[in-house]
Amino acid sequence: MADGMMVFQAVADTAGAYRDFPLIGSRAAIWIAAEIHLMFAAFVLGVPIFAVVAEGIGIFGKDQRYDRLSKEFTRLLLIAYSATALWGATFTFLLATLYPKFFAYLLSIFAPSVWVYGAIFFFESFTLYLYYYGWDRWKYGRAKIVHWCLGILLNVWGTIVMFIADSWLTYMMTPPRDITPETSPTSIKLWHAILNHTWMPINIHRLIGNIVFGGAIVGAYASYRFLAARTEEERAHYDWMGYVGNFIAMSALIVLPFAGYWLGREIYQYDQSMGITMMGGFMSWLWVIQAFLIAVLFLAGNYYLWVGMGRIPGAERFRPYTKWLLVVLVLGALVWGTPHTMIADSRELAAMGGSHHPLLGALGVMSAKNTAVNLMILSTFLSFLLYRRANIRQVVPWAKTGTRIQAGMFVIAAAIVLFFGIRGYFVEAIVRIGYSVYQVGAVLACIIFVTVIDVLMARGAQSLGAIQWGRMPPRSQYALFILAVTFTWLMGLMGFARSGIRQHWHVWQIMQDMTPYAATPALGYAAIMISTCVLIFLSLVGFIFWLGGLAEKSTFVPSTVEAPHVGQ
Amino acid sequence: MWANNLRIIAVVLGTLALYTLIANKIPQVQSEVPHALTLGANVTPEQLTAAGDQLYHGAGGCTACHGLGTRAPNLLTDEKGLGPIGARCGKRESGKDCKAYLYESLTNPRAYVVAGYEPIMPEMGRILSPQQIWALVAFLESNGGTVDVTASDIPAANAAPAAGESGAPGAATAPRIAAGSTDPMTIIRGAGCTGCHKVGSEGGAIGPNLTHVGSRLSASLIRECILKPDTRVSKGYEKFVGVMPKMFGNQLTGAQLEALVQFLASRK
Repeated sequence: MADGMMVFQAVADTAGAYRDFPLIGSRAAIWIAAEIHLMFAAFVLGVPIFAVVAEGIGIFGKDQRYDRLSKEFTRLLLIAYSATALWGATFTFLLATLYPKFFAYLLSIFAPSVWVYGAIFFFESFTLYLYYYGWDRWKYGRAKIVHWCLGILLNVWGTIVMFIADSWLTYMMTPPRDITPETSPTSIKLWHAILNHTWMPINIHRLIGNIVFGGAIVGAYASYRFLAARTEEERAHYDWMGYVGNFIAMSALIVLPFAGYWLGREIYQYDQSMGITMMGGFMSWLWVIQAFLIAVLFLAGNYYLWVGMGRIPGAERFRPYTKWLLVVLVLGALVWGTPHTMIADSRELAAMGGSHHPLLGALGVMSAKNTAVNLMILSTFLSFLLYRRANIRQVVPWAKTGTRIQAGMFVIAAAIVLFFGIRGYFVEAIVRIGYSVYQVGAVLACIIFVTVIDVLMARGAQSLGAIQWGRMPPRSQYALFILAVTFTWLMGLMGFARSGIRQHWHVWQIMQDMTPYAATPALGYAAIMISTCVLIFLSLVGFIFWLGGLAEKSTFVPSTVEAPHVGQ
Repeated sequence: MWANNLRIIAVVLGTLALYTLIANKIPQVQSEVPHALTLGANVTPEQLTAAGDQLYHGAGGCTACHGLGTRAPNLLTDEKGLGPIGARCGKRESGKDCKAYLYESLTNPRAYVVAGYEPIMPEMGRILSPQQIWALVAFLESNGGTVDVTASDIPAANAAPAAGESGAPGAATAPRIAAGSTDPMTIIRGAGCTGCHKVGSEGGAIGPNLTHVGSRLSASLIRECILKPDTRVSKGYEKFVGVMPKMFGNQLTGAQLEALVQFLASRK
């Protein structure tokens, strides 16, 4: 207790508790270092997942292209790891020198986990070296499986490292409730601090988010190489790679909102006022921006698929449907972006005629938004399904019945989503919240069962012609760039939301931020910071891609089998 | 080659510029830090009201819920025909004047949850200093009522809660519960326990029923639960962790605490 009081006495005495950073200030310095470190961390955690899955497909599908794809990205990882460590060290040094007392407080609780973190980062790095440099040595038979297992081990190390770092930041957000400002940090049990309310939801959310991010960066890399390609073969290879990256990013993106919903629920359960600050307080406009960004992701992802259907023989029979999919996506995006509960002054309230807009207020509630986003997910899944089926004609005798069952499943899922969306207007909030589970359940069930039926129906299907990889207009590649920039910007925005809901607390309601930067800035300033971080990150990633090109010429290997769609 | 690179750079910069522009075009709301209030012995009701007004519309975060008509009662405008808060606060609890009611609603909001609303309000004593809370009381009284907060209500300490001080800023000056009475039911009512707990025929259902609490917990455990509410959580009430105030160790006298513990332990 005495130790704790001494620490807090020191914190309360702000003299010497903080230092400022020249020109941009300590908050901006920490913001930039932490954000770029996180972006690189997401890259080096997401791409290995991508690489190990690709290598697995290469081994078990006996398609060398996936193996080469995997190796090409592992080579980039080597450089990206150094960048991650450099930014991590910069962030740590800045934190230790600009916020020394707060840093000391965290260390006094988490010191053992910091040692473990360092040790595992060491193991992770050397596993990566083994994985990359052993690629050509352990190429065949059992040795190849062992090599693949090294890739899995690399992901295990990476996941543990992320889980440890997540415990530090989630403790700052949601420290266990029995810890008070008077609690001595040295008396707090490490495991108790780690197992806080938001630790596991953040872990899962980041795990899925990293896959999305890895896929998006792979897509951007492929599009850059596609645009720079000098031969048809090279163009075909990077067209295919871009498709794979986009497929993985969009598939994982569909699951991400469910992890986000869990995280949001845990924040509300921990502290209602924190949840309200996040969704209806000073951050309420942030969700309108988020809706806009996600609308861009859905539209750009679908646009890429629709343009891609131009290189698939037989796809023309599905073209009339795309305009209706576009209508659903645009309407869904408009509803999702409709503001509802906003902080407004008396003049604004008077202009609006009440606390909610008389017309748009009805579309801004969760019933409408959940309905919109679920219909957007269903539409995107339908786009993928049409793309998958574009160049095949099913020959199984039950093909027509199977297609009718699939169509029925879409109709039933959409009907369930609409039914609960409308009914949500006539019940109490607590009942309405439960309806989102039925809506999500219906959409997920539809995705799973329709995919299973589609895979079974595709057995022995007659080909209408091979996909003309490389026959893509350049505009489609810019869509992949927009996806990568938007994913990265969205990551920065959500990081601001997660960190910003602590407001003027280093550790929520335990240790207050006493610097001149304690006020949480408005979205305009945050957007400038996010754009700066994204620009620095993408410039460095571009440099890494260029270095990767210098180190080794393209690893393009002609396909030994007819190019399948992912998942076939 | 260079044309491609320039197009890529243009797409990236254009996308970033678009997002930054949109984020700067929407209303800019910053989350302010509650500033320390320095209120002298001769502070006027007008000064208190002005300070409370700033807190209410700014760092206090009150407008995130109050005034929207759905999450929490309207305070500055009419609520169900009863007028603004200053006009109705004195009638909410019998025997409790407006000032006491508002102070307790801010420091122990679960004590008086208005029918039709969820108990979502945070304990403002964890966020604001006693000076700031009294300023808010004055501002709320000024909306339809008469400001009767005076300098004598406000403690001498005048710093905003620094780290380590924010646990129970009202502790030193909080009104004595039940005027120091050692009658258990008077303490229970005065401390607002029945706002959440049922004792006999009185009380709510937000927290565990205390009617037969003695059959479940020993006297020492009951004492622990009063002083450190979240160290033991009753099964089925996990989601209410953090709801029960932690200030009773400061507000109850030793005699009151023991009287309360023995009373509850005897209810088997």
